[in-house]
Amino acid sequence: MHGEVTVPVASLYAAHEKVYPREISGRFARLRSLSVWLLLGAFYLLPWLNWNERQAVLFDLPARKFFIFGLVFWPQDFIFLTWLLIIAALLLFFSTAMGGRLWCGYACPQTVWTETFLWMERITEGNRQARLKLDRGPWTLRKLTRKGAKQILWVSFALWTGFTFVGFFTPIRVLAGEMVTFSPGPWETFWTLFYGFATYGNAGYLREQVCKYMCPYARFQSAMFDRDTLVITYDKERGEPRGAGKRTPQSRAEGKGDCIDCTWCVQVCPTGIDIRDGLQIDCIACAACIDACDSVMDRVGLSRGLIRYTTQHALDHERTRLLRPRALIYATLLASLVAGFIIAVSLRSPVSLDVIRDRNILYKLTDDGQVDNVYTLRILNKSEHPQRYVLEARGAGALTLLPTDRTYFVPSGAVYSVPLRVRRSAYEPLGAETITISVRSLDDPGVHADTKARFLAPAR
Amino acid sequence: MPAPTRVERHRAPTRPAHIAGILGWSGFLAAAIATMICFAFIDPAAIATGNPPGWWGPRMRVYGIGFFFFWFVGIIAATLSWALAHPRRGR
Ligand code: SF4
Ligand code: SF4
Repeated sequence: MHGEVTVPVASLYAAHEKVYPREISGRFARLRSLSVWLLLGAFYLLPWLNWNERQAVLFDLPARKFFIFGLVFWPQDFIFLTWLLIIAALLLFFSTAMGGRLWCGYACPQTVWTETFLWMERITEGNRQARLKLDRGPWTLRKLTRKGAKQILWVSFALWTGFTFVGFFTPIRVLAGEMVTFSPGPWETFWTLFYGFATYGNAGYLREQVCKYMCPYARFQSAMFDRDTLVITYDKERGEPRGAGKRTPQSRAEGKGDCIDCTWCVQVCPTGIDIRDGLQIDCIACAACIDACDSVMDRVGLSRGLIRYTTQHALDHERTRLLRPRALIYATLLASLVAGFIIAVSLRSPVSLDVIRDRNILYKLTDDGQVDNVYTLRILNKSEHPQRYVLEARGAGALTLLPTDRTYFVPSGAVYSVPLRVRRSAYEPLGAETITISVRSLDDPGVHADTKARFLAPAR
Repeated sequence: MPAPTRVERHRAPTRPAHIAGILGWSGFLAAAIATMICFAFIDPAAIATGNPPGWWGPRMRVYGIGFFFFWFVGIIAATLSWALAHPRRGR
């Protein structure tokens, strides 16, 4: 492997050699740091953000409702969640078809957390050379303190990550209070440790092996590639024959390629591959090798771009087509799904009504020849504000509703159960019928919902 | 299409730990999906008003138990597919 220094370590996977990526700065490294900061910032801060006196983003599993800023989703709204997941998947397909593994290089949590863990490794154990030396050397006090410091950083960061993760599913301020007094519930404790441990293992130790062996996306992504997809490649035509030594304007004529075989592109690669061997499935398109090669080219006075983002068509000296059937299909599908989603969410009724029959009594005849049906109604206020609702019912015959005052105050995001007794003449009309129960907001006349219910009565 | 050339390193895994990792992991992915779909439609608290089994409890507990159940089933399925796809192993 062209001078790459690797040290075999015991690992879950056979014949695995630990990769010591060399740190590199450059355009794409900066882009990735930016992305890491944005994504991690969003992840760690979002649960602390409040909106209308409650957590802005909360997938409240214990209470079975999801809050996303101004929107409240109930289990009945599961379709929206599914819809959103389909949009996300399609977005991934689309970006892969156009830009290759952009997701892997800049946005995947695996990349983002590995990057962070590598940074912590760097500030405690030093750069690549120092780390290699430290790992090969005997256990001295210095090694112990450095490794210890790294572990302390890693473990605390992982625990904080696990805690934040759980904070998306149960109110984080309450959870924080419980953590401080060491009294979180058993499941909160379990998932915090579970997610924390997963982060620690994946970002600290498994790293590129997650991409190689565990990631479903890595297995399927190449199916979305075509000859116009952006890929990171080494320009063989320009680089070969490679060889050490100085380059002058005459070098090309003397049969020397531009690659000076410094192996920097190999040393920086987090997955430990040599991009000069061609496009490989292990390449997560992190662009570290581009930054490395560009800086070397700058130093030896050759033009940048020996390794670069390009397409197969461009490499074959053909035209790259951005607008191709695959791209157009993905884009149209995506646009219509997003538009549909926005319309559907905005048209969603802000109140919903469930009706539950009393299961034990079908109906009750009163002394004066009337029949009673009893229901339990659940009013869900999905809107952002508290509302006063009034209940009504319509049927074929005249209905009397009890209680007579049927105005209910329901806070935002709350569900309110009310008993409702519907009374009708027992034989006028004859038998059972379907009635319509409706709820209407007094504060916002446009807000209402209907539901059907069976009204049971003796057949004669 | 320029199919990325597969690196020689990707041979079918033979080490037990690696195989176990694959089985556990694919079961885990399946369990995550199954748990999500199952509990989107079923509210453990609604069932608790009927006549639930003894281990039934608050929602978080039922979610957790449900997840491990699905994981277990997922591992069984993954193990069976592994066994069926490698008929000569263990002979
Ligand atoms: S291969 Fe998978 S795990 Fe690795 S960076 Fe890409 S999406 Fe993430
Ligand atoms: S070959 Fe280059 S782009 Fe691909 S993973 Fe390695 S360093 Fe990143």
